[in-house]
Amino acid sequence: MSALNHVLSVLEQNGAELWLRTGQHIMLTGISTLIAIAIGIPLGIFATKRAWAERPLLAGVGILQTVPSLAMLALLLTLLQQIGAVPAIIALTLYALLPIVRNTVTGLQGIAPEIIEAARGVGMTESQRLRLVELPLALPVLVAGVRTAAVVGVGIATLSAFIGAGGLGQFINRGLALSNTDLILLGAIPSALLALAVDGSIGAFQWGIETRRHARTPMRIWATRLAASLPAAILIVGAIAYWSSMGGGAARLVAPQSGESQRGTLRIGAKNFTENLLLAEMIAQLLETHTKLRIERRFGLGGTMIAHNALNEGAIDLYVEYTGTALTTILNAPTMQDPEAVFDTVRDAYASRFNLVWLKPFRINNSYALAVRRAEALKRGWATISDLAAAADGLRAGFTPEFSQRPDGYPGLKRAYGLRFRRVYDIEAALMYRAVAEDEVDVISAYATDGRIDALSLTLLEDDRHFFPPYFAAPVVRKSVLVRHPEVRTVIAPLSEVLDDAVIRALNWAVDGEKKNPRQVATEFLHAKGLLPETAEKTTGPR
Amino acid sequence: MIVLDHVSKSFNGGETYALRNLSLTIEQGETFVLLGSSGSGKTTILRLISRLIEPTSGTITLDGQDLRAYPEIALRRNMGYVFQGIGLFPHMTVGENAGIGLRLIGEPAAQREARVRGLLDLVGLEPDAFVDRFPGELSGGQQQRVAVARALATDPDYLLMDEPFGALDALTREALQEEVLKLKAKLAKTIVFVTHDIVEAFLLGDRIGVCNEGRLEQVGTRRELLKHPKTVFVRALLARPLQQLEAFRELQ
Repeated sequence: MSALNHVLSVLEQNGAELWLRTGQHIMLTGISTLIAIAIGIPLGIFATKRAWAERPLLAGVGILQTVPSLAMLALLLTLLQQIGAVPAIIALTLYALLPIVRNTVTGLQGIAPEIIEAARGVGMTESQRLRLVELPLALPVLVAGVRTAAVVGVGIATLSAFIGAGGLGQFINRGLALSNTDLILLGAIPSALLALAVDGSIGAFQWGIETRRHARTPMRIWATRLAASLPAAILIVGAIAYWSSMGGGAARLVAPQSGESQRGTLRIGAKNFTENLLLAEMIAQLLETHTKLRIERRFGLGGTMIAHNALNEGAIDLYVEYTGTALTTILNAPTMQDPEAVFDTVRDAYASRFNLVWLKPFRINNSYALAVRRAEALKRGWATISDLAAAADGLRAGFTPEFSQRPDGYPGLKRAYGLRFRRVYDIEAALMYRAVAEDEVDVISAYATDGRIDALSLTLLEDDRHFFPPYFAAPVVRKSVLVRHPEVRTVIAPLSEVLDDAVIRALNWAVDGEKKNPRQVATEFLHAKGLLPETAEKTTGPR
Repeated sequence: MIVLDHVSKSFNGGETYALRNLSLTIEQGETFVLLGSSGSGKTTILRLISRLIEPTSGTITLDGQDLRAYPEIALRRNMGYVFQGIGLFPHMTVGENAGIGLRLIGEPAAQREARVRGLLDLVGLEPDAFVDRFPGELSGGQQQRVAVARALATDPDYLLMDEPFGALDALTREALQEEVLKLKAKLAKTIVFVTHDIVEAFLLGDRIGVCNEGRLEQVGTRRELLKHPKTVFVRALLARPLQQLEAFRELQ
């Protein structure tokens, strides 16, 4: 009973957003599948009619399929210079092409040669033959391709949230970032149900159109029509859900999002982990309270490159970056130890190369750090990374994919300490703390300010060779925005007085450990520090 | 009148020939049967006449004019073609199948419907019972009747029939052969009929051309063939039914 109550309360809290996200998800999948049909079927026909085109075409759409979804999204983001629905729809369309083109070719080629000969023999032109004979006969195979494309599309669309396109992935994304199973399930279960519904509806459509002409009784004719209209019904429900939730802002799904922000609107981005979300949320609330700006939250961006590109290309106006990350990942500069030197380097480089401004850093150094189980460290006498290096060839490491690749991550660490772990697993940031606490790995690439380090009895090893650069958090803003709205700088400034490593660790834990809503945690904190008036309870807009 | 003049056809660039230097004249209004076993080239001749394929060398003339001078789509619409085996469109009803030729030339639906009903009647199918059914719901014999109706729909001058009854049981085949004889008398069309069945050839053909390995062994009426077989092949071919009859008698 209590489990049921729990489910009901989760649904009650998130009902309105679930409706919106489901709508977005259906629109993303539906629009991309329709575009893929419009492109894929003519391509398939072309490949069938021109023998030389078949192999290169099928190979081409096949290769598209092999591009990992996130890589495809990141690539499109760079090419299109925008985040949001447009790159997501293009990516989904490209993935949907293979099953549709392939099934069109298979369907057309599967028609008995005698039938083709008969069609020619009765005097059909090539286009008549296609329209009257070939396409109708290939239709079942063709629809099966669309069915595959749509169902796969529902799954891939969950990743669109990484580039700010919304959809049910938004819950999964946020749930992963906040270690919140409820949110993960709130995204995963409806998207699985949606995939089943889409599969079923296109299956029904198939049955409807195949049976329709053979139906004799009015009852059966009615049933076939109903079945054939189910996919359209799902699309309509999606459109209603989307437009009713978005109100006047509906045009945003397809409207261009790059370029300068509209007057009076500021778009704040956040990377996909608790601390970054919390800092972005605090900034958002301060600006909402103390300026006239309308704030749009574009949270949950899937990585440093995605967030940086979004900012650089004007899809967002501000997000919180870390000095060391900017130095090594964005600027590809060698690591440095002096925090001031790092900040000056990134500030100057960003100003000259990107026209982006680093505001005053917070006193938060969210450094990479290797974390191990405290008990194990005591038992084996590990205090520094050098201590660990001696035992590394017997240890399992769990690193985030980003850490495994970054020059200030494992590749550099290996050189600096000459260490080599027995095995290195790629683990999602949200999951690695539990993985090490439960002895599934022995060491992880922790973030120094993560609340889970204390809560799960982990300890950080001292970077005795001073390999990791400082990673001070600071807001990065588009210069044009700052020129137009200089108040942004002054409103955010007090934050750096009230935040430090210990404070942010406690706030992170409130979200990750105590499962509090990040918006609420931010509000309570700002109240306590006197940065928000007590009465200003802001709860508008999707979280 | 259809004239094939030294026509050859190779499907593999001259390595082997399906037809070799074949000359033949089909007279206006006659039923000409091409008789031969599979691979003898008889279907190739039909396909050449309807320009589904082009000859490798030689010319074909229709009513005195080179076939290539006719627009190929218009040419085919003026030749009713009954195909070997399946040839009906499985996704179309009997009515739609029979009326397809009319639809292609833009005949209005109402006239089409009336014409199709008349044709179904002509080939011995009750229109009300059949017009809305699909080929898959019909017996082989009924399907072939629909195929004949389809070929006749546009009232073409020429009728090309490619082993239309080859896959049917003996009783149905005989019934349909009777129908063709009736149609022949009633409609006075030039019919080119392909078969491997000697009895069928003798029953239907005004003249018969015996095909073997891409050549015409002999052309003539059934009497000429029986009385004066020109080649060993023709002689052997015509002896077959009698041999079978004797074998059958011995079994009794």
